[in-house]
Amino acid sequence: MLRWLSFVVPGESDVHVEKNIFLGSAVKIELSCRLADKHSHMKILQVTWKKGNETIKHINKTEISWGIQLTVSENRKLGSYTCTVTGEKEFSVVFHLQVPQIAGREKPVVSYKGDSAILICESRSYTPIAWTWYMTNGSEQIAINDSLMLDKYVIDKADANVTHLKILKLTEEDGGTYWCEAAFELGKSKGKLKLKILSLMVPLKPFLAIVAEVVILITLIFVFELYSKKKEKRAEDEKEFDQIEQLKSEESNGVESNSARHRKV
Amino acid sequence: AFMAGVSPSPRWGWAVVGGAFLQAGLVFGGLRALGLCLGALGGSFGAQAGAVAWVGSAAIASLQLGGPLGSALSTRYGARPVVMAGGFLAGMGFLLGAFATRLSHLYLSVGLLAGLGWALVFTPSLGAVSRYFPTRRAMATGLAMAGASVVGLALGPLIPLLLDAYGWRGSLLLLAALSFNLMVAGALLRPLDVPIESPRPPPPRGQAGLRGLLHHGPFLRYALAFVLVDAGYYVPHVHGPARAQEVGCDEQRAGLVMAVTAVADGVGRVVAGLLAARPTASLLRHLFAWSVLTGLALLLLPLGTSFGGLTALALAYGFCAGAIVPLQFTGVAEVVGAGRLLHAIGLMQMFESVGSLLGIPQCSLSGWLRDLTGDFKVSFLAAGAFLLAGSLLILTLPSFFRTSQSDGSSIEGVLDPVPKGLELSSVPLSPPN
Repeated sequence: MLRWLSFVVPGESDVHVEKNIFLGSAVKIELSCRLADKHSHMKILQVTWKKGNETIKHINKTEISWGIQLTVSENRKLGSYTCTVTGEKEFSVVFHLQVPQIAGREKPVVSYKGDSAILICESRSYTPIAWTWYMTNGSEQIAINDSLMLDKYVIDKADANVTHLKILKLTEEDGGTYWCEAAFELGKSKGKLKLKILSLMVPLKPFLAIVAEVVILITLIFVFELYSKKKEKRAEDEKEFDQIEQLKSEESNGVESNSARHRKV
Repeated sequence: AFMAGVSPSPRWGWAVVGGAFLQAGLVFGGLRALGLCLGALGGSFGAQAGAVAWVGSAAIASLQLGGPLGSALSTRYGARPVVMAGGFLAGMGFLLGAFATRLSHLYLSVGLLAGLGWALVFTPSLGAVSRYFPTRRAMATGLAMAGASVVGLALGPLIPLLLDAYGWRGSLLLLAALSFNLMVAGALLRPLDVPIESPRPPPPRGQAGLRGLLHHGPFLRYALAFVLVDAGYYVPHVHGPARAQEVGCDEQRAGLVMAVTAVADGVGRVVAGLLAARPTASLLRHLFAWSVLTGLALLLLPLGTSFGGLTALALAYGFCAGAIVPLQFTGVAEVVGAGRLLHAIGLMQMFESVGSLLGIPQCSLSGWLRDLTGDFKVSFLAAGAFLLAGSLLILTLPSFFRTSQSDGSSIEGVLDPVPKGLELSSVPLSPPN
């Protein structure tokens, strides 16, 4: 039992109107175009519906819109359908019927040699029939068969809307571009992902640089502290020395007077 | 008797503030950086977002629960060795985490170990700052805590760059190296000398000090006030970007709102500290004022329905929220006396962990309210209510209406009534055993 979808798009002059319609499975669909309100009084000379160069003959006409009905049951029926309205001015509206797009990832997934990485693709709004993973080797795309290489690749098929590709024991050759392909009733769609493999040496260099900086700063702080302590100790020693000298001279004065007294007595 | 040791010059106090600034940056910045790495991390282990988020929560819990440990150890051994040890542990936590092969490894390494290291760094550092600036604690603490804002702001764009270049393992490795700089911060916390002749009674031993606080009514109310404050305080930080997008801002503008809030937060910390630095200022009254203002800002936040309006209100919130920070840690001296400041901070951290664990994204009240009502308005109103409730508790403290000096010298059992002008030479360090 096919579903019915209906789309009406108003045409505007000076603006190229396009609409993307993603179809996950076979549907019966009605596409119609009408004039935007401000042009509704324009005299219409001709309305044409085309797919590519092919003109579509059966147009459902209402007072304000012109539509076509399609049974989209196979890949051939997908494509761009254009409605052209000619009067004083010419308007056109384009419908792009296509399979759902799979979003990949712009930024590469970064992982390390010997580690494992997980690449994820999902198609939440439309459920695919099957997922296939491809790896690019040079210019070729090679399908990944996880049952053949159980200790290297694991594909998680638990959820039909999501696919996980887990790659174990990474080596440098595992880096590159991967594709996850979703198969829908009406066709296939691919998402692109990139995997970057690094060796541990790469972050190790800045790590060691920063650790060296830490050691140097700590050493400087302690050296500075010892130095300033020594300086202060020397200053205090000098003060003490002066004080002792002062006491000594006072004492010797006192002794003299004592001995003087003694002598006197 | 003449002390054969050397008293550091008063200028060294600024180096201590610098060290504390650095540590605040690396502790809270490190926490933030960890949070930013969690996404990439989870993807690599194929784990659910909720399970991965517990790594961050483990770190926060460890940091706060370890508060009393940090204060007890630094009372016994001095701040410097404890902070340096803590910095080493924090770095090791990240280092071990970089080599984790399972999520559970991360809970233990980056979660518990790094969090414990941070606990040994944070409280003792504030204690050291406090000792070097006994009459201008709020100012010095505000300057130090501003480090968290500065580093937090810098990390925002930096971490994604690191993740793109090195992945999460490399990023954790580099965060480990950065965390080792906590040892540099610790090295700056030069111990102060103890003057031999001390006319005051010996200070309470570490344990007795901590245990005594647990029976101290006003202190418990103060700590409870901050558990309430915490319940509301973090709502804008956690849900800010989502709220910004709720009112129509795109990702970039949402990021801008958060950045503006962070800057205002940093400025608020410094300004509040400066305002409270006057000797006649009552820290508790300042604290009350700022927390009421923060509560009001939260209540008004739902009114920000455009980019400009939201930014303006977020700025006000950020400024007031930042102002609370230095006053929280120095105001407690007016409640328990300056001698027990260190232990009080440690214990408060432990109590606050309760609030943090309740406020974590996985089971937060604000998230639940949002799901219930459809948008964040009620969440912010609830947050504001918590702030105001906490403020009211502060009002009930006995020291609030008593005119006292900002160093808490009129309250019980104080060890260092500080005559002005003799800032350094009469500040005692609780003598190590």
